[in-house]
Amino acid sequence: MSLLEIIGGIFILVGSVFLFLGGLGIFRMPDVYNRLQAGTKATTLGAMSVILGVGISQAATDWTWILKTLVIVIFIAYSNPISSHALARAMYKRKKFPLVKSKAENMDAYREIIETEKEEVKS
Amino acid sequence: MKKLIVILLLAVTGYFMVISFMDLGKDGPVVKNGVKDFYLDKTVSELKVANTITSIVVNFRGFDTLGEVTVLFLAATALGGILYKKRHHVGERSVLFPSSTIVKAGSKLLFPAIILLGVYVFVHGHLSPGGGFQGGTIIATGFLLMLLAYDNFSVSHKVLSYIESFAGIFFVLFGLSGMFMGKTFLENFMPVGNLNDLFSGGIIPIIYILVGFKVAAELTGLIYTVLNEKE
Repeated sequence: MSLLEIIGGIFILVGSVFLFLGGLGIFRMPDVYNRLQAGTKATTLGAMSVILGVGISQAATDWTWILKTLVIVIFIAYSNPISSHALARAMYKRKKFPLVKSKAENMDAYREIIETEKEEVKS
Repeated sequence: MKKLIVILLLAVTGYFMVISFMDLGKDGPVVKNGVKDFYLDKTVSELKVANTITSIVVNFRGFDTLGEVTVLFLAATALGGILYKKRHHVGERSVLFPSSTIVKAGSKLLFPAIILLGVYVFVHGHLSPGGGFQGGTIIATGFLLMLLAYDNFSVSHKVLSYIESFAGIFFVLFGLSGMFMGKTFLENFMPVGNLNDLFSGGIIPIIYILVGFKVAAELTGLIYTVLNEKE
């Protein structure tokens, strides 16, 4: 195992941890905006890290792998924020506002979501 | 209780499935001297194509692919026939709110990249995974992105139908010209070149380029028809 492979492995490990946390966040968060936060930010970093890690670990045999994976990373860094922005904006324009603690009606909505989820788990 | 029964049933069926699959492949491959060996052997030695699936789909079973293309064409035509309505304002879609500047600027930059990727996928169909159908679909997603970002973006149905028709006609003509050269319908009649070259594989890349154009035009027309549908 060469040094490049170890560095690439570390990148892949970090990326997969972030991808796992992103998936967990989509499962766990209460509303759309929080889920977007988990599902786009964490998975952007996770996917970029995994792809770059693959490129670095293969660089010992063929150095052009780094350039190829860099192109993919640039593409992800470019397209993922745009798509998450479009999703969040569409939700906001549809009058689905984020759950904020200071607003009373929002807290009620939040409690309702929590209780319905609890009932779903029980049934 | 219901869920418990479902889980138990799944577990029992899964157990028996695993048990019955355990013996598979113990004494060699299940199908011996099948058509598989013929394909694997001829693809590299005679056709000089790196992607076996492409050589099966386009060369050995090219007639099936022609039928597949026809099915796609018929589906697109039927959907267009159902959704088609005479409209006064062509090219104006009913949108809830226009998309933001970020999406507009971003999709303008992404659109050529997506088209390039689609063209790459169907041009390299005989060398790497992918092919005409996949590349055409990628191109259609690029047009979908532009249609979603710009509410005044429009594609000409006339141009799309010309591309689609000419691609289909040339597909059949290539098959027929094989018959003029003294071979069967859709059999390879051009020089095959070297393995892993871009210009190799006889008629496979040409037919996949035609299929790519056809699928891209069909799916773009389909998306455009669905988006233009008004209440």
